[in-house]
Amino acid sequence: MRYSPDFLAKSPESALVGLARTGNRNAFAELIGRRQTWIRNLMRRCAGDAESADDLAQQVFLQAWRTIHQLQDVDRFAPWLKRLAINTWLQQRRKNDPLRGADEHEESDTAHSEAPGVAMDLDRALGTLPDDARLCIVLGYHEGMTHGEIADFTGMPLGTVKSHIRRGTRKLRETLAAYAAPIEAGT
Amino acid sequence: MSIDYDPTLQALFRQAEQEFDRDAFERRVMARIDRQRRKTMVFWSAMGVVFLATLSLIAAPLASAVGIATQFLPTALVEIETGWLQQLLSPVNSVAAAIAIGALAIRAFYRRIFR
Repeated sequence: MRYSPDFLAKSPESALVGLARTGNRNAFAELIGRRQTWIRNLMRRCAGDAESADDLAQQVFLQAWRTIHQLQDVDRFAPWLKRLAINTWLQQRRKNDPLRGADEHEESDTAHSEAPGVAMDLDRALGTLPDDARLCIVLGYHEGMTHGEIADFTGMPLGTVKSHIRRGTRKLRETLAAYAAPIEAGT
Repeated sequence: MSIDYDPTLQALFRQAEQEFDRDAFERRVMARIDRQRRKTMVFWSAMGVVFLATLSLIAAPLASAVGIATQFLPTALVEIETGWLQQLLSPVNSVAAAIAIGALAIRAFYRRIFR
């Protein structure tokens, strides 16, 4: 059945998820529209460069379309999508370089043609962290998850999560020290 | 949010949030979905053709094999002259019964050893 774009735009997310589960492309397109900013920003913080972040975000939605029928609770679409996104990023990391994450990374020199200065510098700084620490930092600062939630989400012990966040925060503060003064003055 | 986070970094993460062109991204994803759907359809169509071709090739030998089996399976293993005894033992006195009993014995043996 075809629904008008206006009707879909006004529908709650759970209704769109229900329709998408039955194979309704327009409902899924509306879901993409609503969630793309969040997922693309999340992927940029994880992947570091705009091009691979957008490709990853597309893969996330592609995977979501393929597996949306497995989603039991239509109200849990956002956390389910977040898990898909993080798993997609982790899989891509493992595929590209299995040794990556064992040590601290070299600073990324990927082009950030469209990103504003702060996003570019933040992504570069995040690129210097090991994968696990980066994941914890992104989930904590970008997603606003508590340490306990991150531990549940990633399967890492709580102590490890806390340690990653403490060290990651310290390193990011050092790298992004130039931004600290204006922000602190503004608050 | 957890109280252990650095407020300066929290503010930086908020500042780094960007708005993107919704329509272009949506179109790209839907185009990829359509491409993948076409690929899947082509794959299953090809599989269907291969299945039908294989079926047409093996249909004749399969039918004759089934014919031979239906003639061979009810053959009695031991010739019994007495009418009532022949009737009584007929469920186990055939090639089909021997194969079935053998399969059950192998299954029971396998289960006893490996489970």
